[in-house]
Amino acid sequence: MNLDDPRVKRIIRERSLSFCLECGKCSASCPRMLTGKQYSPRLLAHKLITEPEDEAYIENSVWECLTCGLCEERCPSGVEYSRFILEMRTLLAGTKGLQGCRAHDGALHSWMRLMTSPELEQNRLDWIGPELRVASSGPLAYFTGCAPYFDVFFSWIEVDTLSIARDSIRLLNFLDLKPVVLGEERCCGHDLLWTGDQENFETLCRLNYEEFKAAGVKEVVVSCPECYQVWSQFMPQVIPGFDLQVTLLMDLLEREIKKGGLAFKPFPRRVTFQDPCRLGRMAGRCDVPRNLLGRIPELTLKEMENSGRSAICCGNNGFINCDLYSKRIQVERLQEAKATTADLFITACPKCMIHLTCAMRDPLRQGSLALEIRDLVNVLAGQIEWSGGEDAIGTRRK
Amino acid sequence: MERVNLLGICCNWSPFACYNAAGMARLELPPNFRLIRVMCIGRINQALILRAFEYGADGVILLECKDEDCRYGPGPEVGHTNVQRVRNLLHLLGIGQKRLVERSFEADDREELVQALWDFARDIAALGTNPAKPRQEREAS
Repeated sequence: MNLDDPRVKRIIRERSLSFCLECGKCSASCPRMLTGKQYSPRLLAHKLITEPEDEAYIENSVWECLTCGLCEERCPSGVEYSRFILEMRTLLAGTKGLQGCRAHDGALHSWMRLMTSPELEQNRLDWIGPELRVASSGPLAYFTGCAPYFDVFFSWIEVDTLSIARDSIRLLNFLDLKPVVLGEERCCGHDLLWTGDQENFETLCRLNYEEFKAAGVKEVVVSCPECYQVWSQFMPQVIPGFDLQVTLLMDLLEREIKKGGLAFKPFPRRVTFQDPCRLGRMAGRCDVPRNLLGRIPELTLKEMENSGRSAICCGNNGFINCDLYSKRIQVERLQEAKATTADLFITACPKCMIHLTCAMRDPLRQGSLALEIRDLVNVLAGQIEWSGGEDAIGTRRK
Repeated sequence: MERVNLLGICCNWSPFACYNAAGMARLELPPNFRLIRVMCIGRINQALILRAFEYGADGVILLECKDEDCRYGPGPEVGHTNVQRVRNLLHLLGIGQKRLVERSFEADDREELVQALWDFARDIAALGTNPAKPRQEREAS
């Protein structure tokens, strides 16, 4: 690592790395370090500033980070650690190639890169049944993301991420909105971006933007926090003159509920909520899901020991470096959830659902971590009603 | 006709014996066909098949032993499961399930193997190039 490289200097300056006080709060909160991994955010910052000749250490560490953002939450100096990691990965990938051990042998990254083909003709809408009202063009669109692919690829752990997409559309239909769902939308590119593949990420951004513009879309509703982060923060950087309004589904719901007329049926369950990193810390939406859950009668929210902005990561990000330390983070997280005595684990990100379900299915744990897991959208769609009490939303598929 | 890139993933045992015998007998093989030899088709996972398409293959054929002939046990069954799952992904991507072919052979099926490769080459040529070829691969070919 050449410290004189102006690109490295710029990253250090822009991400405030030189403000590091070496207080060690980052390393003391890093879930990866706390589970025993030889990785320290503080040491990485130290090495980069004072010992840039230790290239092997710096390069390994840059790929080890979960980018969950807990360290920068605790940092008193305002070091933007996640963005620093992202930019270092992009830089290193450009000079030394993509690194980081890709989970599932890189199958997910493969299909994300396959989607950069402009001539793609996907069959991704098979999940839309006649009970859902969708349009092919119009001002409001719903962005599905990779859910159809996840459910096929992860069929062996029986996750149902498409239920999130179905229930999102059911909620929009309930509010009398008929969203555009496109057959040629691509992956948002989040995982490619965060694993250093800037070139293909930008291609996906451009293709998605063109598809939605061509369908006359003005506003895109997103339920996945990772897609939301890309659409709201990174796409405007890639596309000059980006003019689509990006709305998080739960923000839209909260806004509509405040207008009045909507209510929820009682849901007599004890639940706990996992704040996804891209939703809680990075988009600042810790209260919105809790407010929504708080509106459901008879629902008891039991907070985990680490929740809200201090929530612990689901163990993996961008599908790289899934190892035994990831597993330990997941096991500890599920044990935290179990300790709340909740019988339903609610999250708001399909990735959290996939990673934690995978840990629950570990045969060596013999089901001791098993907990019903559902997305916030599933719970809301199951309980929403007009204040009069009439059941306006169609019957659930299962 | 467009030139298509064909990839065979071949088990080291029965199918490779056939392939070797076909070579010894100087039987003609499709010209745009490349072979990767693995110890067992059970070694191949979903990611490796997908990556073949990511790297520009227009068709992939898995050449495997008969279920009961596997030297290791469950190899061909693992192959069947993977093929089924990857086909579902290929359908979603619009690449089409027909671009992934699975054939099994006994050790002395050299003519059948050569015929299977020619059939495969003809079918993929009829389908044309893979629509979901990443831009980098398009520029390279």
